Amino acid sequence: MADDKQTDFKAAKEIGQKSIAFSMARVPETGRYFYGTSDFGVYDIDHLAEKPEAKAFDGEGHNSYVMGVALTEQHVVTGGWDRHLVWWDRETGKPVRRQKAHAKWLRGVEASPDGKRIISVGDDMIARVWDAMSGKLLHELDGHAKQTPTHYPSMLFCAGFSADGQLLATGDKLGKVIIRETKNFKPVKTLDAPGHYTWDPRARRHSIGGLRSLRFSPDGKQLYTGGIGKIGNVDHLGAPGRLEIFDWEKGESLKVVNNGGSFKGLVEHIEFAPDGKWAVLGGGDHGGWLVFVDTKEMKITRELKAPMHIHEFNLNEAADKIYAVGHDKLVRFDLKA
Amino acid sequence: MGAGWLGTSAAINTFAETGLNKALKHSNKRVILLWLAGGASQLETWDPKPGASTGGPFTDMGTDIPGVRISELMPQMAKRMKHSCLIRSLNTRDGGHGGGAQMMMRGRKDEANLKYPDLGAVVSRELGRMDSPVPDYVNFYTSTEGRNSSKVSPGFLGARYAPISLHDGEKLTLPNITKLDQITQGDHEARANLRDLLSRQFEQGRETGSVRSHAAAYARVHGLMSCEKLFDLSDEPQKIKDMYGPTQFAEQVIMARRMVEAGVPFVRVSRAWWDSHGQNFETHQELVPELDRVLAALIDDLKQRGMLDDVLVVTMGEFGRTPKINASLGRDHFATAWSASLHGGGTKGGAVYGKTDDKCEKVVENEIGAGELFATILEAAGIDSSKEYHVGARPIPLVNPGIKPIREVLA
Repeated sequence: MADDKQTDFKAAKEIGQKSIAFSMARVPETGRYFYGTSDFGVYDIDHLAEKPEAKAFDGEGHNSYVMGVALTEQHVVTGGWDRHLVWWDRETGKPVRRQKAHAKWLRGVEASPDGKRIISVGDDMIARVWDAMSGKLLHELDGHAKQTPTHYPSMLFCAGFSADGQLLATGDKLGKVIIRETKNFKPVKTLDAPGHYTWDPRARRHSIGGLRSLRFSPDGKQLYTGGIGKIGNVDHLGAPGRLEIFDWEKGESLKVVNNGGSFKGLVEHIEFAPDGKWAVLGGGDHGGWLVFVDTKEMKITRELKAPMHIHEFNLNEAADKIYAVGHDKLVRFDLKA
Repeated sequence: MGAGWLGTSAAINTFAETGLNKALKHSNKRVILLWLAGGASQLETWDPKPGASTGGPFTDMGTDIPGVRISELMPQMAKRMKHSCLIRSLNTRDGGHGGGAQMMMRGRKDEANLKYPDLGAVVSRELGRMDSPVPDYVNFYTSTEGRNSSKVSPGFLGARYAPISLHDGEKLTLPNITKLDQITQGDHEARANLRDLLSRQFEQGRETGSVRSHAAAYARVHGLMSCEKLFDLSDEPQKIKDMYGPTQFAEQVIMARRMVEAGVPFVRVSRAWWDSHGQNFETHQELVPELDRVLAALIDDLKQRGMLDDVLVVTMGEFGRTPKINASLGRDHFATAWSASLHGGGTKGGAVYGKTDDKCEKVVENEIGAGELFATILEAAGIDSSKEYHVGARPIPLVNPGIKPIREVLA
């Protein structure tokens, strides 16, 4: 059971901005992170500085929303709805490589824990594995259906490595998860979490939701999947945020956590405390929140209202600071003294 | 019979025909309205603003008309802009579903004591034929959301010009036209022949409008009973179905094409529901490609049948969507600067009328309201928009005084 004081965070430093920040990656052991936005920009900021100031990367980068940011030893790698991956020099903020990565809109970018590989996912429903240094395409991973059962385009929203880098999971709009071993990228398990997806066949005849976030537990035994629960009115994000926890090896859904709907909207991102005793979810609808989950009990222990819809965040190594990016704001949450 | 479309209005003489009107009724002009219920985003369809803070994540693409660019979500229509005209300067001033729908369907707001006929009713009255065996106005609306707020209405024209409304999503057909199982086809035909014989005998020496109308009404009912095949797509070639795609909207648009081919003057196919207050981009990723495919297929289908010069296809809804993107990544209702499109019959392919500013927040050139679009659709369908009806002694123009059609988009 997590100590209640371990999750008693408060918003400590809020920075307004004129665009939506969708993605971020933090330099370990620092308050410096890089983030991608709706103005097609990539920015560098130190959120621990006395007067944090975002510096824009310069040069030919993206022509659309920047949906994924990943760090390698030398580079910041970003991906956008413009289908491209861009490698940037971390220190100069200049692009060093730009290449088309997907046939449709790119939704996310992740680096392997050793920083040697980059995974990108897009609405062509392919996950692509890239050499982090050379940018060479190593693998193309399919298996996610391109269309929904009602003949509309599906979307491949997210990917994540296990902490030891041995596993890779990808998740799509219909709630399908494919887990692969990274030694050969062959699928080892498929999970279905259809509760994250709502198709309205009668009133509005379109859909909403999808599996938006996933994370392996630190021991690699469980997979946390995030999204939104079944929605009555698919015009809005008016349903409870939804966390579904799997024992992935058994293919067994262990628990759906939504606390009866007190936090509404999408679970956009999931992270674990270093000791694995608790997890934190971030997301929102018109507003935003952080939700803390006791991993042993698999239940919510704390809900914290955020000043904005959170699209991504990062918990630091000491588990006493959370850096969050989202709708028109960047916020640092500090653990109360 | 189901709906009261055979009823006549006590307020006006619906059977009165001008010389011009008679001539038009011999033409093959038809209208198919693709009603984008809930309000499609102009930024993700006809008026993209890539790179603007309001532009969203999608880019634009060039079309077969140099200088005209539309959303990348519409690659099929990008090849068919020579058959299309875009209206990018609608300011219709009503951002409510009910009010906006009424405004767009009737071209104006009702008066306290006068309900105006909608587009379908006017086209039905002007282009419909008394001796036609098919309905004059058909309205598909199979989703439930917005069905009541975008109700179609014949207004003061009366029930004779009300649409046959089709709501059942599972099996679409006209209500109450199916022959009773207890009656054999032979009996059914024998009864009709007997009625026809008696009617003709009765008509001899009785050359009045009432008698002709009575006989025409029966012929119409009998004809309607053969309309069921219009809803049965089993005889439609697979390659045609493949063009339109596998969705319900696609099937209904094929039915609409079959109907105009059979002589129905006005068909509205409603595709609900575009009201993307949350997750606008994912919603439009679903719905715009469907619209793109279906609309392109309809244009090709009509062209192949030699009907594209006569059949006007319109896309519009009750309004567009806000340039501002809300925190749920949605766009809200916006009637200030949005778009509609016209294709085929009576329009000037490749024309683009009006312009919005760089963020699509306001119209900067050739602003028009719902009335001008209403008048333009009538003119494209060969109907004189300056015409007047009479309710009692009061003359009622088809559009409000001062409203003119957009000549720049008319052929």
